Amino acid sequence: MELRRYIARRMIQVIIIFFVILTVLFLLFRWAPGDPVSMMVDPDMTQEDAEILIVQLGLDQPIGVQYFIYIKNFFTGHFGFSFHYGEPVVDIIWNRLPNTILLFTTSIILSAFVGVFLGKIASWHKGKKTDSLMTIGALVTHTLFLPWLALILIWVFGYKFGWFPINGMISEEVWLDPEAGFIARAIDVMYHMVLPLFTLFLIHFGAYLLIMRSSMLETLKEDYILTARAKGLEEKVIRDHHAAPNAALPVVTSVGLSLAFSINGGALTETVFTWPGIGRELVSSVSQNDYPLALACFLMIAGVVLVSNLVVDVLYAYLDPRIRY
Amino acid sequence: MPCINAKQRRSSCRWVLILACATMLITGSLFIASTASAANILKMGLLQEPKTLNVWRASDRWSRKVVGLMYQPLYVRDPETLKLIPWLAAEPPQFDEKTLCYTVKIRPAKWSDGTELTSEDVAFTARFINEFKVPRYRSKWNFVKKIETPDKHTVKFYLKEPKAIFVSRSLTTPIVQKKEWTKLAEEARKTKKPLKRLLNEKIKRPVSSGPFVLKEWRQGTFLYLQKNKYFFGTGKKIQGRLLGPYIDGVIFKIYGTSDASILSLKKGSIDMFWWGIQPGYIEDLRANPDIELFQNEKSALYYMGFNVRKAPFKDVNLRRAVATLVDEDFIIKRILQGYGIRMYSIVPPGNAFWYCPDVPRYGEGLDREARIKKAFGILRDAGYTWEVPPVDESGKVVNGEGIKLPDGKPMEKFTILTPPADYDPHRAMCGMMMQEWLRMLGVPAYSKPMAFGALLQQVKVRHDFDSFILGYGSLSLDPDYLRNFFISTNDKKRGWNMSGYNNPHFDKIANESASAMNRDKRRSLIWEMQKIIIRDVPYIPLYDPKLIEAVRKGRFTGWVQMLGGVGNLWSFCQLKPM
Repeated sequence: MELRRYIARRMIQVIIIFFVILTVLFLLFRWAPGDPVSMMVDPDMTQEDAEILIVQLGLDQPIGVQYFIYIKNFFTGHFGFSFHYGEPVVDIIWNRLPNTILLFTTSIILSAFVGVFLGKIASWHKGKKTDSLMTIGALVTHTLFLPWLALILIWVFGYKFGWFPINGMISEEVWLDPEAGFIARAIDVMYHMVLPLFTLFLIHFGAYLLIMRSSMLETLKEDYILTARAKGLEEKVIRDHHAAPNAALPVVTSVGLSLAFSINGGALTETVFTWPGIGRELVSSVSQNDYPLALACFLMIAGVVLVSNLVVDVLYAYLDPRIRY
Repeated sequence: MPCINAKQRRSSCRWVLILACATMLITGSLFIASTASAANILKMGLLQEPKTLNVWRASDRWSRKVVGLMYQPLYVRDPETLKLIPWLAAEPPQFDEKTLCYTVKIRPAKWSDGTELTSEDVAFTARFINEFKVPRYRSKWNFVKKIETPDKHTVKFYLKEPKAIFVSRSLTTPIVQKKEWTKLAEEARKTKKPLKRLLNEKIKRPVSSGPFVLKEWRQGTFLYLQKNKYFFGTGKKIQGRLLGPYIDGVIFKIYGTSDASILSLKKGSIDMFWWGIQPGYIEDLRANPDIELFQNEKSALYYMGFNVRKAPFKDVNLRRAVATLVDEDFIIKRILQGYGIRMYSIVPPGNAFWYCPDVPRYGEGLDREARIKKAFGILRDAGYTWEVPPVDESGKVVNGEGIKLPDGKPMEKFTILTPPADYDPHRAMCGMMMQEWLRMLGVPAYSKPMAFGALLQQVKVRHDFDSFILGYGSLSLDPDYLRNFFISTNDKKRGWNMSGYNNPHFDKIANESASAMNRDKRRSLIWEMQKIIIRDVPYIPLYDPKLIEAVRKGRFTGWVQMLGGVGNLWSFCQLKPM
């Protein structure tokens, strides 16, 4: 009963926070410097044309009225039309979201697996060359400037060797070929994913490696590891079956949060590789003062983060009955 | 502590490597095989994705580039003479001065769905624009009183008053199919905001009359236009040019950055990058034997504008002194690395018919020291004083300090707003140079780069600025923008008269030019307007960058060079695979 009350209370908090975020974002976009209409007109258009556009975009109303219209539409699942695309923003987001999830979820999972695996090895060889190499390597790759790394990889593997496409998500030749089936198209997407995925992997795996390494070092000091050794278990069994699963918990938490954040994509990665995802759209909508699209993108990110936090809190509360905030 | 089984590790690594290589080989061979099958398709790189194919909404340059290949107007510009020539129209328009009626004959043509394009479609387009007040086109048609279609190949437009822009602006409006848009218009009329409904209409299969029609659009990745088998120009000679298209289609690929698109061009993934090449890339591309560079003039204007509503730039002498200080040769040689044209007037020199060469040329042929002396002379004669004059008693140029206005008050520091360097490095750099040149004269100028949207808001909406550097990359060839930019009635929020220039004499000539139906008479008025503007200097024209475009050699031939570059309708109609 107490748990239900707790969940209900947390849900109300989440809803309130969400609406606070919505309001702040709405006002920020309206008050921030920049005029969406001035970006859309050229010398062929008159000031009257600009006024007509303002009315069509709904910007002629006072901010309070615009806000209430937005809230009213929000409850009907209508987030407005993009100023530039002229399409419902929900359609644009649904079109781009799967691309972002595909790239970033894959990169997080791949980085986490490799990071955990290498972190385990590094901790097992603590103080030796393997450990030093891995730790330094992880630190170096994790701190690389992403656009620089991406451009270098594009130049080397995309241009010089010509092994991979320079940008994009699909080859028009494959997708325009009526005979190309699902497998050919899937392979084509994978082929285009190689470079952005490798870039993201290089940037991210180091963090998981370092978390795993330090967590593993702590775990190896635990009594049950000593007990396992005392029982005469093989070192590999102790490492892989006793220490690693427990040491990986912080990595799992980190991966969970990263997955939630992955829907926001990576503006830099998506821009450099022209990956048609949410990150690129977010940057473009903000720079062009496309309020409805930018607002919807930010709200989606806020919503996912709030819900993931709620789920984590509820799970903690469920697993540990002492936890009640 | 025992190590991981080395044998196992080697085995895993081997499998990962084999798998990766196999994937690479399969996909690579797929890619190469399919590339070969697309020999007759032109691949163009775009820096951004077109936002829409709705001709009425298309406001970004990328959408308009693509839409321009599908929807066609009655008249287009000849690539050599830049004169308007009949396109969908069969002959030049006939004007009856008494009735203010233009009669236009339309050539036999078909829509991409195979139906006939008639005068009804043309009349519908004009009526549609007027009924729904479509922005961008409304002001080109709202002076049309009545439209008649005596037969299916003739349209008569009756004007309320004489309008010089009717042929160059109104008759260059893209024509839409009545059948397609009648249905949409009916639905829109039932809504509270019909125009909004029409602008937000997603046109999935545009019915058009141009050389290409939409085949497929994978949003975010590519857009494919296929040859229109019903294109009216196919096999016809227009202005001595035998039209195709001779290519099967055009694929537009989207690139997020210039770096990626230029690498793709060099690699052969695209045949042309449809965007001006920045000077930094030119030498590298010139050295590449597979790349051909084209250099053309643009109808562009980059300028420094002043807020003449308030001090200090309310004073024409200060504006003239600034104009004298501008070292345009330095801007062109050093900032544009030679890829630009010096501008003397607001109309670019490439627009030869309307360009007035006989305007005041401040500081022409002077070196920096002479400029400072001349600017100092202008200000001193106007009553400006200095604590330390920029020219000392012996006539030597020194760093001026503490400039005072003619009323004896110290000149307050002012800003030169520019777009940021990541948006346009040239304009940002020009701002810095202007700041330095003005400071030599003791004028407290501060260059302030700011986000482009914020800059427009500051200058165009709030009028809260001292001076700014902006530009138009693609000005219309009709010089009516001169009137728009400087007529006093446009000095209002979001109006084009951003400087707040107010000259009743100019207004009178500008209004006369708008209704001058005689081309030569209009030219003399437009020339007079240019002279007045350069004399009063609300704007200082800085430069017109040259347009450098890069294409792959050995794939297609027949690029047509014209003002605005080789990416034009004529090229698309004449390109042939090699």
